[in-house]
Amino acid sequence: MNTAATKATLLNRIAGLDHIPTIPAVLAPLLRYLQQPVEDLDVQKVTDMIGQDKSLAAQCLQMANSPLFGRWQKIDSLRGAVVGLGFHRVSDIAMSCGVLNLMPKNIGAIDPVVFWEHSLGCALVCRRFARKISYPDPSKAYLAGLLHDLGIIVNLWVLPKEFREAYEFARAEGIPLHEAEQKVLGFTHCESGRLLADKWELSAPLKEVVSLHHNIQEAHDHVGLVALVEISDLLCRMSGLNYGYIENRQVNLLEQTGFSVLSQQCKGLKDLDWARLTFEMDSYMDEVHALVRSIYRT
Amino acid sequence: MTMAAATIFSVEVPPDPELVRIRDLIYHSAGIFHPDNKLRLLLDRCGRRMKELKTQTLREYCEQLTSKPTKQTELIALLNEITIGETCFFRSPAQLEALRHVVLPKILEAKSKLPQRRLRIWSAGCSTGEEPYTLRMLLLEEAPGRLMDWTAEILATDLNERSLAHAMNGIYGTYSTRNLTPHYRQKYFLPAGEQLQVQPAVRNSISFSRLNLSDDGRMSFMKGVDIIFCCNVLIYFDLASKRRVIRHFYNNLLPHGYLFLGHSESLYSVSDDFQLVHLPGATAYIRGERSEGGK
Repeated sequence: MNTAATKATLLNRIAGLDHIPTIPAVLAPLLRYLQQPVEDLDVQKVTDMIGQDKSLAAQCLQMANSPLFGRWQKIDSLRGAVVGLGFHRVSDIAMSCGVLNLMPKNIGAIDPVVFWEHSLGCALVCRRFARKISYPDPSKAYLAGLLHDLGIIVNLWVLPKEFREAYEFARAEGIPLHEAEQKVLGFTHCESGRLLADKWELSAPLKEVVSLHHNIQEAHDHVGLVALVEISDLLCRMSGLNYGYIENRQVNLLEQTGFSVLSQQCKGLKDLDWARLTFEMDSYMDEVHALVRSIYRT
Repeated sequence: MTMAAATIFSVEVPPDPELVRIRDLIYHSAGIFHPDNKLRLLLDRCGRRMKELKTQTLREYCEQLTSKPTKQTELIALLNEITIGETCFFRSPAQLEALRHVVLPKILEAKSKLPQRRLRIWSAGCSTGEEPYTLRMLLLEEAPGRLMDWTAEILATDLNERSLAHAMNGIYGTYSTRNLTPHYRQKYFLPAGEQLQVQPAVRNSISFSRLNLSDDGRMSFMKGVDIIFCCNVLIYFDLASKRRVIRHFYNNLLPHGYLFLGHSESLYSVSDDFQLVHLPGATAYIRGERSEGGK
C-alpha cells in the first residue's frame, strides 16, 4: 500500500504540525506550577489558573463530580474540587479535558467520543493497575494513560484521509489500529505522537510512553511506565473501551513484553488477580461512557 | 455548566461497606464478582434474603453469612438468588461472539492437520438446556462456512434430572427466550402455545445426560473435549471440590482447548493449571503448563 516515498511525504506533513491546535494556554503554566512541593501550592492560585478558561473550568467541574474521581459529595465550585480532590487529581482532570478537546470533529474516522472514552479509560485503568501492583511511581500513571495516543490526534488533523483509510482497514479486518497504520501509512501513531510530544516539550517519561507503547523493546529509561501503559491499553482495547471496533483476537497478558518488564519491577504483579481487575473495569466502562457523553454534549 | 450536565451527575452515595464486605465474601468463597456498577443488583438480592430471614440491616445479614451455624446454607441461598433468572438463550453475547470469531478459528487451525474433522463441546451444568441449544444454533450458523465438512458433538450434562427433562423437552417461555432475534426464533423454534419449542432436529443433535461433576470415575471418561462451558456451577462448590473439578477439566480438554466460565466468574486462587486469556469483551481459560503438584 505505502511506499518509502509516500511515508516520507506523510511524515513531512506531520513534522510541520501546522494544523494541530495548541494545548489550552492555561495547562502548561498549571503543570509547571504543580511541580512545586505540595506545601508551597496555593488553592486559590490553582483555582484562578483553571478558571481563566471558562469552558475548561465547566468541564473540570463535571468530571470532578464523577464517582470515577472518588468523590461522593457534590462539588459545586472549582475551589471545592481543588480542596476535595487535591491538586494533582484536579490537574489530571484539567489535562483530560484540555487534551481531549483537541480532537477534531467530523473527520469520519474514529469517533471523538470513542477516542475520549478509550483515553480516559486507559488513564483510569493505568492508575488502578499501578496501585494494585504497587508500581513505584503511580502518580505518573494517569497522565501516561491519558496521553499515550496523542499520535492519533496528530494523524486525524494532518492526514485525515489516509488515517481514515487505515482506521477502516483495521475495523474491517478486526486488527490492532497500529498494525493497520503500519500497513497503510508505513508508520504508526507512535511516530506522529513523538513529534507532537517533542513540540509540546512533554516530560521524558511521557515522550517515551507516547512513542513506544507499541514497541516496548525500544524503551530504555522509563520502560516500566511504558509497560504499564501497554498492558492497560490492551485491557481497554479488549473490553468496551476500545477504538469503536472489536479486535478479533486472543490476548494472553502473561505473554506480553510489558508483563515481563513489570514482573521485574513490581512484586505485586505475581499475585495479581487479572480476572478481578477485568471485572472491575466493567464499572469504569459505564461511568466513562456516561461522563464522556455528557461532557461532549455541553 | 449547563443544567443538563448538572443533573446528570447527581452524586451517588458511596457503596455501603457491609455490602462491599459481602461482595468480597462471595468472590472469595464462590469466585463470582460484582463490580461497583452491579452492587445495586447484589443489594437487591441480599434484600430478598433479608426479607425472608426478617433481618433488618446489612450488618446483621453479613453476620448470618459469616457465622458458623448459618453461613453455609445462607451462602447457597444467596447464590441461588444471585443466579436466579440467569439462564436464557444467548446469555453472554460477547462470549458467544468471541467463541465464533476467535476461539473456533483457532481450534479449527489447531486441528486442521488431523484426519478427523470433529469438534467436541461440553456444556457442564447445562441446567434447563438454553446454553447447549444456543451453542448448537451458533454452530449451525457456521456450518455452511467455517464448519463445512466438520461434525460437532455437543454434550450437555447436569446433576438435576428435572432440569434435564426440561432441557430435553425444549419448551421455553418468554423470559428464557428474551434475547432471541427473529432470525433464530424463526429458524430454530416452533410455536408451542404461548411458548417456543426447539425444533426436533436441533433437540436431537445434543446428547443430554446426568452427571455429577464430583463423580471422579465418570469425570475421567469425558475425554478429548475442545471447549467446556461451565457457567455459574462451580460457585456452589467448596474450594477442594472446585479444585478437583478443575483438574478434571484440565484432563478432559485437548491441549488447544478452552474453558469458559460465567461472565464474572474467576479461577483466581483455585487453579494454576489454567491461564486467563482476554477475548473481545470476554475472558476464557486455556491450559497452561501444569505446575508440579499444582493447586
